[in-house]
Amino acid sequence: MKNDHKNHVVKMKKTLCIVLILFSAAITSCNKTLDIDSTRVVGEKNMWNKLEDARAGILGVYALTRAALSDNDSHWLYGDVRTGEFISPNRQDLKAISSNQLNASYPTVEALSDWTRFYAIINAANIFLERVGDVKAADKRYTENNMIVDVAQARFLRAFTYFYIVRIWGDVPFITASHDGKFENQPRESGDKILIWAQQEMLKAAADLPFVYSNNDVQQPGNYYNEDATRWGGALATKNTAYAVLAHLAAWQGNYTEVATYTKFVEDNYGKSGINFQSTEDLTKSNGFFFNKNTSQMFGFNSDWGHVEGSVAGHLEELTLAEPVVNKKVPDIYMPKDTILKIFNLPKDERFSIDTLGQPRSERYFTNINGKYPIFSKIKVIQGGVSDPTFRYFTSALIFTRIEDVVLLRAEALAVLGDVNGALNETVSVIFRRGITDITFDSNQDIIDLIFQERHRELLGEGQRWYDLVRYNKIKQNNPAFLKLINSKGIYWPVSRKLIAQNNLLTQNPFWK
Amino acid sequence: MRYLWLCFVVFAAITTNALTCLAKENEGKKSKVNKVKRAALHNKSFIRRDTTAKDTLLKDSMNIIIRHTLYNKLSDSVTKKPYDLSKFPAVSLQQLLKGQFAGLYVQEPSGEPGSVQNMFMHGAPMPLLSQRDVYQSQPLVVLDGIPLVTEHPFAYDIQLYDYTRMGTATNPFAHIDMNNIASIEVLKDLSATAVYGPRAVNGVIVLTSKKPVSAKSITFDSYIGLAQRPGVTTINGKYENAFRQRFYDLYTTNGRYSDDENYPIYLSDSLNNVYSGKSDWSDLYYRNAVVYGINFGISGGTDRANFRFSLGDLKNNGVADGTVLNRYSAMFNINMKPIKWLLFSAMVNANRLDRQRNKYLRDRFAQINYFPDLSAPLPPNKEYYADYLTQYKKGFDNNKINIVDGYAKIGLDLGKFKFTTTFNVDYNEGYRDVFYARTLLQGNSYASNYFGYSQRIMADNMASYDLTINKVNNFHFELGQSTQWDTYKYSNAYAYKGVNDYIKIDLLDSNPKNPDGSDNGNYLNPTAFPRELTFRFLDKIRHNLVSFYAKTDYSFKEKYFLSATVRADGSSNAQPTSRWFYSPVLSAAWSIKKELLDNSTIINDLILRASAGRLGRLNAFDNYAQGPQYTASVGYTGNLTVPGYNAFGVLTRPYSTGWVGYGIPWSYSDQLNIGTDAGLLNNRLHLSVDWYLKQEKNLLIGIPAFAEYGYKQSIESGMAVNNTGIDVSISADIIRNTNFGWTSSLNLNHNSNKLKALPRGLDQIIVNNKLLKVGSPVDQYWLLINDGIYKSENEVPIVNGQPLKYNGIALHAGDPRWRDINGDNVIDNNDKVLKGHSLPKISGGYDNNFRYGNWNLNINLYFNLGRDLIHQEMANRFDFINREGNSDVNSVKEITFWEKRGDYNKYPLYNPWSTVIPYRVDQDLFLENASFLKLRTVSIGYDLTKAMRAKKIKLTRFYVYATANNVFTITPYTGQDPELVSYDGYDTGYGLPIPRTYTLGVKMEL
Repeated sequence: MKNDHKNHVVKMKKTLCIVLILFSAAITSCNKTLDIDSTRVVGEKNMWNKLEDARAGILGVYALTRAALSDNDSHWLYGDVRTGEFISPNRQDLKAISSNQLNASYPTVEALSDWTRFYAIINAANIFLERVGDVKAADKRYTENNMIVDVAQARFLRAFTYFYIVRIWGDVPFITASHDGKFENQPRESGDKILIWAQQEMLKAAADLPFVYSNNDVQQPGNYYNEDATRWGGALATKNTAYAVLAHLAAWQGNYTEVATYTKFVEDNYGKSGINFQSTEDLTKSNGFFFNKNTSQMFGFNSDWGHVEGSVAGHLEELTLAEPVVNKKVPDIYMPKDTILKIFNLPKDERFSIDTLGQPRSERYFTNINGKYPIFSKIKVIQGGVSDPTFRYFTSALIFTRIEDVVLLRAEALAVLGDVNGALNETVSVIFRRGITDITFDSNQDIIDLIFQERHRELLGEGQRWYDLVRYNKIKQNNPAFLKLINSKGIYWPVSRKLIAQNNLLTQNPFWK
Repeated sequence: MRYLWLCFVVFAAITTNALTCLAKENEGKKSKVNKVKRAALHNKSFIRRDTTAKDTLLKDSMNIIIRHTLYNKLSDSVTKKPYDLSKFPAVSLQQLLKGQFAGLYVQEPSGEPGSVQNMFMHGAPMPLLSQRDVYQSQPLVVLDGIPLVTEHPFAYDIQLYDYTRMGTATNPFAHIDMNNIASIEVLKDLSATAVYGPRAVNGVIVLTSKKPVSAKSITFDSYIGLAQRPGVTTINGKYENAFRQRFYDLYTTNGRYSDDENYPIYLSDSLNNVYSGKSDWSDLYYRNAVVYGINFGISGGTDRANFRFSLGDLKNNGVADGTVLNRYSAMFNINMKPIKWLLFSAMVNANRLDRQRNKYLRDRFAQINYFPDLSAPLPPNKEYYADYLTQYKKGFDNNKINIVDGYAKIGLDLGKFKFTTTFNVDYNEGYRDVFYARTLLQGNSYASNYFGYSQRIMADNMASYDLTINKVNNFHFELGQSTQWDTYKYSNAYAYKGVNDYIKIDLLDSNPKNPDGSDNGNYLNPTAFPRELTFRFLDKIRHNLVSFYAKTDYSFKEKYFLSATVRADGSSNAQPTSRWFYSPVLSAAWSIKKELLDNSTIINDLILRASAGRLGRLNAFDNYAQGPQYTASVGYTGNLTVPGYNAFGVLTRPYSTGWVGYGIPWSYSDQLNIGTDAGLLNNRLHLSVDWYLKQEKNLLIGIPAFAEYGYKQSIESGMAVNNTGIDVSISADIIRNTNFGWTSSLNLNHNSNKLKALPRGLDQIIVNNKLLKVGSPVDQYWLLINDGIYKSENEVPIVNGQPLKYNGIALHAGDPRWRDINGDNVIDNNDKVLKGHSLPKISGGYDNNFRYGNWNLNINLYFNLGRDLIHQEMANRFDFINREGNSDVNSVKEITFWEKRGDYNKYPLYNPWSTVIPYRVDQDLFLENASFLKLRTVSIGYDLTKAMRAKKIKLTRFYVYATANNVFTITPYTGQDPELVSYDGYDTGYGLPIPRTYTLGVKMEL
């Protein structure tokens, strides 16, 4: 019995020892237990250390740009729907946009008046520009040249974003540093001033941007991030991209001398970036110009089928396509037959024209022209570039500009600068490619009208029309209603009430008060 | 059928077992004596099992002492016994607890068996802006010392719609079989919750399973019943057409509002039988449904080693949409005492849940992330609706959950010194396998496979020492340490357009090598679905928590009680600079009875108690620990899960989720509780009143800010929310005759919440459609006040020569007359007011028990007062112009679209085409009082124990009963059941009805 007790005591002591050891072990291992890195986000200490971080950073700026332009199909709602040339049978929000009721309280309209997503691009670019040096210092694989090219792209995308939002809101807050953790509200800055800055930025970026990536460009030797030219072709901004956007910017400023200069540069150099003019067939076919990515996409954002980047939303097709192209009864937007016939009035136009019997020659731009809803089917990149109507999954690239656009911009510039022949030559070079060989231009006609008509036809559904209309009316000065809209700043969007509530330095556009 | 079979098996088992018992009994005199003794002990312990709804302080600080004094005496009247609760044919713990405990409020947004329900103890600790907040507001449920893990809300990050969480979306507390539970304690104040640490900041529900007893005992509990098909009013296309025509008559001249107006064909064609014929879809949608539950338990062993084992099966068929929940459970408890001072015990509770979910189109489209053409809704006619159901049945939607929780515990009992070390595991995994045939989605099939788990592993050590000085000073010292490792993970893959409807899973190419030995380029690529239309996601969160606490209890002459706890908690989800949180809790109690009223015969017991202290609050997400960070989310509306750019992963700041900076401290809760318990009139009247104040501090909130830096919001610390209220429990033993008895108990809670502070000292912020204003409650709606309609243009006020504007849009005839609250001649957000409450001011239950001889009758009422809801379903019906024919979520019409709910005549006929959206939900037009009183249970039972004993059948208890549940609801609300609303108070019409259920049951023990 006594022995037993002794045993117990011994055991007890042993147990106590074990307990104490356990306790102390627990305490020492605590901090290890508590110090775990997240597996779902990357903390500051694990970023900007490696070449891959720089790659993730710069491509992140591209991805954000694509997201901003695709969100709620905003690129097309701003550019094509606002003009009122498209009609929406069911969607009250789109009806409001096309009738310029931009105060209407629909979620889409509210989302479109919110510029947060554009400032995400700007902030991402700012952070990239501030931090990419850390990668350079930490990782020897990240070469000087790689950094120069990356910085040029970040700068270009940031300037492009400012240009894009100045076109939408006029005056916007101007921020060129990340202000990480020390954010301050900023008032709106004059859009004109911002455009001057953006132009300088783009010129600087243009100087460093290569014509082509991973294809022995002097300014970008070797394989960019170890991937070959096919991987990058059409996905990144090139020197030509920069000059094409510069041309747009200058045109928006009304600075047509510069437009002429920039467009000349592109016309002289586009081949260096592997850019080609598109045949009407290539432009409109399901696996043509708009499919995935290709070098002819002078400035575009692809949603590559093979990369599983396609989507149901965020593509023009979501708005325009319906039966019989895809299995949706009523399109979100359509162009009435009358409007179509007015715009496509040139005989033999391969994009769209009617024969003497009133039947369409082709269904490239419009399908079901005689139905209740003519379907605008110029862009119809369904799934992997097929014509399967059953599944509305789209992989078209969002194109900001292409060579035909630049040529027409040049025509516009030359026309404004008084070189009617030059302008006509440029215009005709685009029109001819669309199968119209016998165009007659009589001298009573204003070349400007011809150019903008052609822009309308050629770039329909590419988010250009609204800005074209603004430039056109600024040149023509003959539409009092539109001029009133321009002068009262009604061409801009209202600033989201949400933003004004957050930042008391902001003011509403007077037109929308 | 399965039920009958199961019953048969169990009865057979019991019979054979009873026989062996009898046989054993004849073995010898000695053993018989033992048996009797044990039986006696057992009986006693049976009574003691009926512990429960005690308030908190008692749980710990005074636990031992009080239990022997106050509560035990009154346990019959104040407490809710699991024994009684188990008569309710519930699936989940929440349903069982609803209305039973003062201060515990349960939301049941749907009557769908096994769907998620929410609990709030002493109000919501934070504004419920999203499912994340709901998750972080839930009380902790502890089963036998295991803090149960639930499904992490991180899956919502990649969901465009948060209707239900990705995966099985099954109630994590649907796996508790009340027949295995010996006691339920609801711990509301810090003196009791502090030992559970920061997990317990929203309160604790402690479940203790039935402990093994050495006496051989067999229990059998079962019920079978019928859930009654609800009666509904159905409508058809003609009716809906007539409803809409009234607007066309008023606001159009030729039946079209504009030239491009597109009136839905399914309504315009009155000869179309599909829509305008008989509306009898409800025959296929609603049904009378069988429910049953069966639990068989066996316990036995010796004093030194004993066990309890139970098996259970539950089937709950929903009355609507073919919903079903099946549960199979097994529980095993074992105690071993190899030596006197060493106790080893272990428990395993394993459950399998299968769930048939509803077939809501909205949820399906949200799940598949694709909205097909919605111009033709489901038809109200049975024949056509049946076609749809047939197509649906070609696929499947399997939801399976396995939950295993268990512990192994070694306890050293060395008299005054005690030490226990426990190893807890809780593993909860869910599988959802879905296949929708091509015919359901315009020729595209869809397959999805989800696997996710939540896992908690915990090592827990506790040492205590008891000391008594001079026989009057009792000390209890306790030291505890625990480490908890949580892992939450899911992987989900879905794909569209399979090769045919026979291959229903997305098979992958499993050969790493080609036959010729070269690498197979398609290794792990899908074979039956296109690779480009296969999407895969995974996510993982880990959270580690290390805790230490020290606790001292002191009592003097059983008059004064004092307790102090100090805690240190370290969380891996806290920022490195403030990883540890230290918090104290102090509590005291004073027995007035012992001090002053020792001689009183009227007052049998009177205790005053108070506790005050602080407890940390955990971050559910590991993002905040990182400070400024980078994520891979670069999606946009309609496509949140963009994989990257040009097939490279990208990293950007978390613009869509919000800026996270450094310097985020722990958030915490300061709680003060003052209460009293009294036993009066020979303890026939018991009263318990608690006043509490809960101050939540340093809560994180996303402030809409920094838009010009790209952020949707800035997540900052500094929000403070107060909840204050009172819990009252009264129970009375009104009549206590030998033949007749009547006990009655009422529990209620009055709670009010208030926003006390916002980060940066802000006064108010607007988050989505909610205004959070310092000084105002957080559960209010933010609404325009509706004063009717502008009947003509000249009724619209003219301001500066222009008509009155709403957000810059001029108002016209047919627009609502919204009140200009601030008188600035403009209607905008500044004219919205905070109104109504989504959480009740008063909630509680009223319970009556009548006993006559061996009969007893129970009547249970449940009520909510001062609660309001927004009748969104009604708003949607009137807002048909914005909800028709598009391929988006707003145009989705369920089959229940053909059911008339609520009163259409209450609402003015606005111009539905107006761009001000006259039938918007953020106006008080759709705000309704959702107070209600429900007769939740009527049950009648007969105790057959005596009768059986008279026949010399050896039984401890034999009881048969019948119940009727959810008998009626009294409410001013005009829609369906006022309980069927989502956490934010919106009745979207998506809640399946909570059915009236009748059951017959038996409880026996031998």
